[in-house]
Amino acid sequence: MKITLTVNGDRYERECAEHHTLLRFIRETLGLTGTKEGCGMGECGACTVIMNGRAVNSCMVLAAEADGAVIQTIEGEAKGPTLSDIQASFERNHAVQCGFCTPGMVMSVKELLASDPHPSVDAIKEAVEGNFCRCTGYTQIVEAVTELTGTGAKGGLDHV
Amino acid sequence: MLHPFRYLAPQSAQELAAMLADHASDGKILAGGTDLIPNIRNGVFKPSVVIDVKKLPDASSLRLGADGLSLGPAVTVNDILRSKDARERYPVLCACAHELASHQVRNRATVAGNVVNASPCSDMAPALLCLDAVAVIGSGTGQRELPFREFFTGVKKTALKPGEWLDRIVVPASSAGARGSYLKLKRIAGHDLGIVGVLFVRLGGSLRFGVSSAAPTPVLVDTVTAKDGPDQAAATVLGSVSPISDVRGTKEYRQHMIGVFVRRLLAEVK
Amino acid sequence: MFDDKRPEELAYVGRSSDRPDTMEKLTGEATYVSDMRLPGMLHAQVKKSPHARARIVRIDTGKAAAMPGVRAIITGDEVDVHIGLYIVDKYVLAKGEVRHYGEAVAAVAADSLEEARAAADAIEVEYEVLPPVLHHMDALKPDAPLVHPDLGSYGYVAAAFTPMPGTNIANHTKLRKGDVDKGFAEAAYIVEREYDCPSVQHVPMETHVAIVQWGKGDRVSIWTSAQSPFTVRNLFCHAFGLAHAQVRVQIPYVGGGFGGKAGIGVEPLCAVLSRKAGGRPVKFQATREEEFSLLPCRSALTYRIKTGVSAEGKIVAQQMTMYWDSGAYADYAVNVTRASGYSASGPYEIPNAWVDAYTIYTNKPYGTAYRGFGHVEFHWAVERHMELVAQAIGMDPLLFRLKNALRPGSKTLTGETIQKNTGNVVACIEDAARRIHYGDLTPEEKERQKQTGWKIGKGVAALHKAPAMPPFTATAVILKMNEDGSVLVNLALTDYGQGTYTSIRQIVAERLGFPPKKIRVAFENDTDRDPYDWQTVASKGLVLSGNAAILAAEDLLKNAYDVAAQALHANPRDLAHDGERVFLRHHPDKGVSFSSMAVGLALPNGNGIGGPLIGVGRYIAQGLSNLNKETGEGTPALDWTFGAHGMIVEVNEESGEYRVLKVASVYDVGRAINPDMVRGQAIGGMMQGLGTATCEGYIYDKDGRLLNPSFTDNKIPTAKDLPLEVECAVVETPQIDGPYGARGVGEHSMISVAPALGNAIQKATGAELTHMPMRFEDVWRALENREPIDNWITKSPVGSCRSAPEARPKE
Ligand SMILES: Cc1cc2nc3c(=O)[nH]c(=O)nc-3n(C[C@H](O)[C@H](O)[C@H](O)COP(=O)(O)OP(=O)(O)OC[C@H]3O[C@@H](n4cnc5c(N)ncnc54)[C@H](O)[C@@H]3O)c2cc1C
Ligand code: FES
Ligand code: FES
Repeated sequence: MKITLTVNGDRYERECAEHHTLLRFIRETLGLTGTKEGCGMGECGACTVIMNGRAVNSCMVLAAEADGAVIQTIEGEAKGPTLSDIQASFERNHAVQCGFCTPGMVMSVKELLASDPHPSVDAIKEAVEGNFCRCTGYTQIVEAVTELTGTGAKGGLDHV
Repeated sequence: MLHPFRYLAPQSAQELAAMLADHASDGKILAGGTDLIPNIRNGVFKPSVVIDVKKLPDASSLRLGADGLSLGPAVTVNDILRSKDARERYPVLCACAHELASHQVRNRATVAGNVVNASPCSDMAPALLCLDAVAVIGSGTGQRELPFREFFTGVKKTALKPGEWLDRIVVPASSAGARGSYLKLKRIAGHDLGIVGVLFVRLGGSLRFGVSSAAPTPVLVDTVTAKDGPDQAAATVLGSVSPISDVRGTKEYRQHMIGVFVRRLLAEVK
Repeated sequence: MFDDKRPEELAYVGRSSDRPDTMEKLTGEATYVSDMRLPGMLHAQVKKSPHARARIVRIDTGKAAAMPGVRAIITGDEVDVHIGLYIVDKYVLAKGEVRHYGEAVAAVAADSLEEARAAADAIEVEYEVLPPVLHHMDALKPDAPLVHPDLGSYGYVAAAFTPMPGTNIANHTKLRKGDVDKGFAEAAYIVEREYDCPSVQHVPMETHVAIVQWGKGDRVSIWTSAQSPFTVRNLFCHAFGLAHAQVRVQIPYVGGGFGGKAGIGVEPLCAVLSRKAGGRPVKFQATREEEFSLLPCRSALTYRIKTGVSAEGKIVAQQMTMYWDSGAYADYAVNVTRASGYSASGPYEIPNAWVDAYTIYTNKPYGTAYRGFGHVEFHWAVERHMELVAQAIGMDPLLFRLKNALRPGSKTLTGETIQKNTGNVVACIEDAARRIHYGDLTPEEKERQKQTGWKIGKGVAALHKAPAMPPFTATAVILKMNEDGSVLVNLALTDYGQGTYTSIRQIVAERLGFPPKKIRVAFENDTDRDPYDWQTVASKGLVLSGNAAILAAEDLLKNAYDVAAQALHANPRDLAHDGERVFLRHHPDKGVSFSSMAVGLALPNGNGIGGPLIGVGRYIAQGLSNLNKETGEGTPALDWTFGAHGMIVEVNEESGEYRVLKVASVYDVGRAINPDMVRGQAIGGMMQGLGTATCEGYIYDKDGRLLNPSFTDNKIPTAKDLPLEVECAVVETPQIDGPYGARGVGEHSMISVAPALGNAIQKATGAELTHMPMRFEDVWRALENREPIDNWITKSPVGSCRSAPEARPKE
C-alpha cells in the first residue's frame, strides 16, 4: 500500500509492504539506518523513534499504521552540522560506547525533556528503562541528562 | 521479520464487523500491537489479515461521564497516566498502569489490548476487576455489556465470541475515589512481566484484591473482610489462586510472596 | 615503555579527551554491518535443531529449493569444513549428529528475508532423537554418552591443551605448587565448599551479523561484526584451505562484543552460501533468539574449593577443582579453563596449591570467551569462599583477605614473584572498604534500616586478572602523516565501544607532542590495510597496542628528524619539534614544518627528499612462557590488574527482595590514560556484573531445550537497576612495561561484583548463597534453608551438582 508520512521534516510518499514494521520501513525503504534493531520484540528500545510526539518501539509498529504520522529519528536530531543539546551532552558525558543503543536512547530522552524539562533522576531512569544499554552501565547517560538540565554534574574518577 | 499479511483499517463498526466476519479464522485485531506483533514475529499467530481498530470513530476517547470513565479501544496505558481525571478519580488504575512494561511500550499498549490478550500476568486486569469495570462488547448485531469479573475464561482466553470486539471499557462512577496500591514482584527493577502482582483496593467498606500471575486468569478476591487479620486475609487470597512453577519463579515462592504482599498492602493502604 | 613522568608533566595522557567516535554514533551516521546492504545481496536464514542431541536421518530440501527467490540451500553433508580455535571440533553446519538445541543443520540464501525464512521452514529434517548429556557433572560419569566420540582424531593446540579422548573432557589443566598434603596436615582448619554459576549470554546490542562475498577465483570478502579481524581471517583460511592473500576481512562499527565476537562466528555460514549462490554476497544476522542458542554463551561452572588455614588465619593449602561446561564445542572454553586454572585462587597467596580444571563437553549451546574470561565465574566461588572460610574460623572476612592478599614477594600459583610494581591489591581492598564504611552502619543507615525494616549489609570482594593470551602475542601500529601534518593511526585492535582508540590517540598525541585533534584513528578495521593484531580480547589492547603506538610515534619522529636534519644541514641530535615543525634547538626560528615533510620535502630547487612520513611500531609481549603442563609453572601474565568492590545492600528478610544501595569499585590501573574511559569501563562492567549476579542465566528443560532465549525471560539490567550510588576510583602503581605505566581494566570491572553482593547479602541476613544469579527467590530459599530451585540456573533437574564424582579422575 501507499503511505504518506513526514520523517525529520521531510515528506515521503512511498509504497510499503503491509507486513513491514515501521523500523524496517525507515531503515530499508527510506535508508535511514541510524535507528537500530536489537530484538524486534519491544524489549530493548534500540528501535525507538518519536511518532506524533511519543517515543515508540518502531519494531512493533507497522509502517501502514504510520500513514499520516510525523516521525523523528536520530538523523533529524542534529541541527545542520551541529549536535543538538542532548547529543552534545551525551558526547561531553561519555554516554556512548558501542553506540548501538544510542539513537534510541537519545529519542527517549528527547521525549522526556519535551514534557519535563527538569526531570528527577528517577524520572530519567524511568524514561530510558525501555532502552537497554549493555556497555555504559547507564550512569553516564543519566549524567548526560542531569548535566544538561542543570541538576547534576559530570561524573569523575577518583584517584586514591 | 514478520510473515506477509494484509493490513486493514476499518473506519466504522459496520466495516469492522464485516471484516471480522470475512476473516473469522485468519484475521487478527490490532490495537497497540505490543502483544500481537511480537506474537506474529514468534510464529504464535499467523494471520493473513490484521485489522487495526485505531481508526474507528472515537477509538481514542478517554471520557469522564456520569457513568464513569470510558476508554475507547485505542486508549493507551500512558493515556491513562496522563489523564488528570484518571489520576484524580481512579488512582488505582494509574497504579497498575504505571507498572506495565516500559514507557515506550506504554505509549502504544492499549488497555483494551491488555485485557483481550488475557495474559495471567496482565497488569491492567487487577485494576479493572477490583473497580467493577465493565466491558462493552461490539459485534455486527449490536453491543452487549459484560463485567470484567466474567470476562477472563482461561489462559489467554476471554468471553469474546467470534466476530466480537472490545468496543469500550467503562470504569463505573461508583468506583471513583477507591484507594489502593499495586505490588508487582519482578526479576529486575526495570520493566518485566510480574512473578506475581497483588493489587489491594479499599472501595467504600469493601476490600478487594486483584492478583496477577497466580492463576490461569487474573483473579479478583472480594471475600476478605475488614475484620480479618492480615494472616486470615492472606489465607483467603491464597485460597483463590493456583500459581504454578515456571522460569520466573516457583509455585512455593509465588504463594509465599502473595502472602507477603497482602500483609504489606494491608499495612500500607489504610 | 613506561616513562617515569609525573602527571603534571604529561600534556594529554591522564586527562579527559573527546572520543573520536561519538559524533558518528550520536547522529546515526556510524555504519554497522547490520546497516549494510551490497548490490545483489542475498539474505540467509538457518534451519535449527529443536533437539539437544539427535542423529540426522534425512534432510529433504526439495520443497524449499523450489520456492520463489531461493538461490542456495546448503546442508551439513555438503560442506566438509571444520572450524576450531584451539580444538578443531565444529562443522559449519551439523553433520550426522546435532549436538545442541539451536544448532544449525541447514541454511538458505534467498532474494528476500521472507523468502529465505519460508524456505528454511520448508526444509524437512528427520531426526532420531538420542539421549543428551546435559549437566557437565553428569557428563563425567563413566556411562555418559560421548558428545565427541572422535575427540582423539581432532587437531588441537598441543602446547596448551590436553583433551582426553574416550571421555567428555575437552581439556584438563593442572597446576601443582608446593605440597598440598603436607599443607592440609598442618592446617588448623579445613573448609570445603562447592559453588556454581550457569551459562549466560553476552548480549551485545547488535547481534552477530556478517556479509560474505565468495568472488570468482576464490577471493573472499568478509564484512563482519567481530572483535578480531585477523583471527577471523586466519581461522577462515585454515577452515577453507585458502591463502591469506585471498581473504579480506573488514569490520566497521561494532555494536558490542564482550568476548562473544572474539573468534569466528557466522562468517563461514555466509561464505558457503555465497559460494553456492555463484558469488553473490550473502548476509546473515542472528535474531536475538538465535544469539542465545545458535551462537555461543559463557560456560557454566561448578567449582569445589578445599582450604586449609593456620590458626593465625593464613591459608596453608588449597585444593581447587573446576568443572567447566563447554557445551557442544570447545571454542574458547578450553582456554577459559586454562586461564582460570592459573589464576584459580584469586589475588591471594597459596603456598601449597593443587588445581584441576576440566572443560567438559555437554549437549548444550557452546561456551566461549566472555568479559573476564572465566574470572567472573570463578571469583564468584573464590570470593564467596573467602567469606565463608573467614566465618568458619571466626575472623573478619576483610582481615582474612588482607592477611592472605598477594604482596610484593608473594608467589602466584604459577610461581611468578609479585613485585612492587605488579600492582597493589591491598590498597584496592582497603579503599573499597573505606568507601562503604565497612564494618558497621552509619547513623543514617541505622535510621534507614529502622524506617524500612530492610536489613543493611556490607561486603567486599577482591579480584585479579592477567590477560589470557599466547605468551608471544603481538601487535603493530602504523602512523601515516597527512599532507597537512596531521596523523592517521592504523591498527587492527578493534574499538567496539571500550574507548581504546581514544586512549591510543592520547598516547600518540603525547609522544608526538601533537594536540589530539591532529590525530585521527581509523575506526573501520581492514586486514588489507591495517597491520596485524592478534585479537581484541583479554584486556591487553591498551597495553600492547599502546606500546606499539609509542614505538610508532618514535619511528615517525625519527623519520621526520632525518628529513629535517638533511634540510637544515644539522645533526638530528640538534633538533627539537613542536606540534607544527622540526627546528634547530639552538636557533628555533630555523626549521621545517611537518606539513612540508609529510609526503616528501621539496627543496627550493625542486629536488625531493624523504618521501611520505610513516611510523611503524611493533610490539610483542615480553618474557612470557608456556606453562608446564604437569605443574602449571611458568610466566603467563603480561600484567596483573588488581581490584576490589565494596557493596552495600538492603535486604527484606521475609521475601528475599533486595536493593543495591552502593557500589564502590577500585582498580590498580597503573595509570589512567583517560579517566573517563576508565570510568566507562568500570561502571559498564560493574552493571554487567550485577546482571550476572542478580538475574541472568540459561534455563533448560529436561530435554535440553533452552526455555529463556529472549529478553522476555532473560533480563538484563536497565537504568532502573542502577545502584543508588556508584563510585569508582583508581590506584596507580605504574606497570613498568605498560604504556605510560598503564595496564588493562576492560574486563576487571565485571569480576567479583557477584561475590561482593553475595557477601553483603550474607552480612545483612546470614543467607549463605553459593550459586548465582541471586534472584530474590534464591535469597529467600537460602534464608529458609530450602533446597535451591530445581532448574538449570541453580541445579540440574536430572543430576544435582552435588552428585559430582568424589575422587578426581586418575592421574
Ligand atoms: C516489552 C514488553 C513488555 C511488556 N510488559 C507488560 C507488563 O509488564 N504487563 C502487562 O500486562 N503486559 C505487558 N506487555 C504486554 C502488552 O504490552 C500489553 O498486554 C498491552 O496492553 C497490549 O495492548 P496492545 O494494544 O498492544 O494489544 P495488541 O497487541 O494490539 O493486541 C493484543 C491482543 O488483543 C487483541 N485485541 C486488541 N484490541 C482488541 C479489541 N479492541 N477487541 C478485540 N480484540 C482486541 C489482539 O487481536 C491481540 O490478540 C508487554 C509487552 C512488551 C512487548
Ligand atoms: S528492536 Fe524494538 S525494542 Fe528491541
Ligand atoms: S553504548 Fe553499547 S549498548 Fe549502549
